[in-house]
Amino acid sequence: MSSDLAFALRGVGTAVSSSFGLHEVSFDLPTGYVMGLIGANGAGKTTIIRCLLGMRPIDTGEIELLGHRAPGPVALRQDIGVVLDHTYLVGDWRLTEVERTLRPFYDRWDGVRYRGLLAEFGLDPRAKVKDLSRGMAMKLMIAVALSHQARLLVLDEPTSGLDPVTRDELVGIIGDFLLDEGHSVLFSTHITTDLDRIGDYVTLVHGGRVVRTGTKDDVLAAYRVVRGGPDDLSDLVGVQLIGLRQTATGAQALVRADEAGLLGGRVLVEAPTLEEIAVHTGARVPASAGGAR
Amino acid sequence: MNAVVRMAVLDLRTVAPYRYQGLVVFGVVVALLAHNRPVVVVPALVLLVTSQVAAYPFVVADKAGLETLYAVLPLPRRAVLLGHYAWAVAAFVATATVGTTLALLLAWGESVPFGGRTLVTVLTLSWAMFVVTVAIQFPLFVRFGYSRISVLCTFLPLAVIMLAVTRLHLTIATFASIQAWLPVLWVAGAAAIVGSAAVAMAADHRRAG
Repeated sequence: MSSDLAFALRGVGTAVSSSFGLHEVSFDLPTGYVMGLIGANGAGKTTIIRCLLGMRPIDTGEIELLGHRAPGPVALRQDIGVVLDHTYLVGDWRLTEVERTLRPFYDRWDGVRYRGLLAEFGLDPRAKVKDLSRGMAMKLMIAVALSHQARLLVLDEPTSGLDPVTRDELVGIIGDFLLDEGHSVLFSTHITTDLDRIGDYVTLVHGGRVVRTGTKDDVLAAYRVVRGGPDDLSDLVGVQLIGLRQTATGAQALVRADEAGLLGGRVLVEAPTLEEIAVHTGARVPASAGGAR
Repeated sequence: MNAVVRMAVLDLRTVAPYRYQGLVVFGVVVALLAHNRPVVVVPALVLLVTSQVAAYPFVVADKAGLETLYAVLPLPRRAVLLGHYAWAVAAFVATATVGTTLALLLAWGESVPFGGRTLVTVLTLSWAMFVVTVAIQFPLFVRFGYSRISVLCTFLPLAVIMLAVTRLHLTIATFASIQAWLPVLWVAGAAAIVGSAAVAMAADHRRAG
C-alpha cells in the first residue's frame, strides 16, 4: 500500500443491475490534491464513491484508501469526510443537536471549529436541518466533515442544483481545506466549471467505465475539439471522431490530440474545455473504443 | 463510551425531537386504561408505547437516510444493529419503570390491591410482549427497511400475542399460577432478543451482499 496516495481503485468492478455496473475502474489520487470525477447522470460516479467508501461491495479489483486496503478498519472513517448531494441527518435536529449527536463518534471532533464554521457559513445554530436550503445543507455537511478533521473529503455532486454564488462559495471552502497539504478531495460533478478553479486531477467516467484519467492539464492536452461545416467531418481518414455532433449549420467532435495533425485545413482545431471533453466523451461510446479513448 | 452504547444514544437522539408526540400517546394510554384497571397500565404501555418508541429509529432512519450516516460514522455495523436492540431494551426498562410507578400510585389512590406477585407477573407479561414485538420486528426492519414492511411489522407481533393469549387461554391469573416459571420467561425472553439480534445480523449481511 502506498502512503503517497489518498486512494486508488485498481480494476474495480461491481454489478449494480442487470444492465449497469462498474467495469475495470482504475484511477488514483496522490495525497494533497483534488480530483474531479466527471460524468453525466448515471455514468457511475455515485457507484464509484459508494465502492470507495465501503458502502457497496465490489466484485473484482481492489481499493486502497488512506494507506489501507478498503474497507479497512472502522477507525479509518475518522479521517474521511463525506458530503453527498443530500443530507443524511434527522430533519428535526437543530444544528446544535447535530454536533451533540456526532461528537461522541469522532476522536478529534473540534466543537469550536464546528461553531466557527457555522458562523462563517452564515448558519444559525438554532435552525433545524429540514429548514436549510440546499446550499445551506451542503455547507452544514462540509462543516461536519471539517470539524472532525478529515484528511480526505469525498463530495458527491455537492454543487448540483446550487446557484452560481453558492457554488462559488463551496468551491472556495474546498480550496481552503486544501491549504493543509495532507488533505485531499474527491469531487464528483457534472458541472465541470467547478473544477476550473480547484481541480488538479480529472477522471472522466461513462457507462461505468473510466474514459480518461490524469492531471487536468494532461486530460485537456489529450484532446482537440474540431469544428467544421455540416459535411466537413464526414470523410476524414485515420481520425477517430469522438462524440460527433452534426447540425444543419455545422459539425463538432473531439479527436485525440495526436490525431489532430491528420485533419485538413478546412476544419477549425482548438484546445477543448473540460466541458467539451465531458460532453463529447459522454455523448456516445463507439463500439471499437473499449475502455479508454 | 462503548460503540453499542453510543449507537443506542444515537437512537435516543434520533427519536428525541418527537418526544412530545410520544408523551401524548403515553398520557392517552394512561388516561384510558388507568381508571378501572391499574394492573393493565404496564402491559398496555409496553405494548402500545414501547413497541412504537423502540421501532421509531427505523422509521426516522428510513425518512432521513440515516443508513448513510451509520455507514459514514466510525462505527462497526455490528454495533449499529446491537445498538438498536440496546435502545429498545432501555426503552422497555424506562417504560416499565414509569408505568409501574404510575400503576402503583393509581392503585394506591383507588385502594386497589396491587403489588408483590401480581406486579412481578404483570412485568413478566409485559417483558414477554416486548420480546415478541422486538424479536419479530427488528430483523424484518433490517432486512427490508421500515417503509417496505411497516404494516406487516405492526400487526404480526400483535397477531402472535393475540394467538398466544387466546390459544393458551392466558390471563393475569394464569400467569399468577405459574409463578415458578416466571424467571424462565425472563431468561427465555433475553435469549429470544439475542437470537433476534443474530438473525438481524445475518439479514443485514444478506441485504448488503
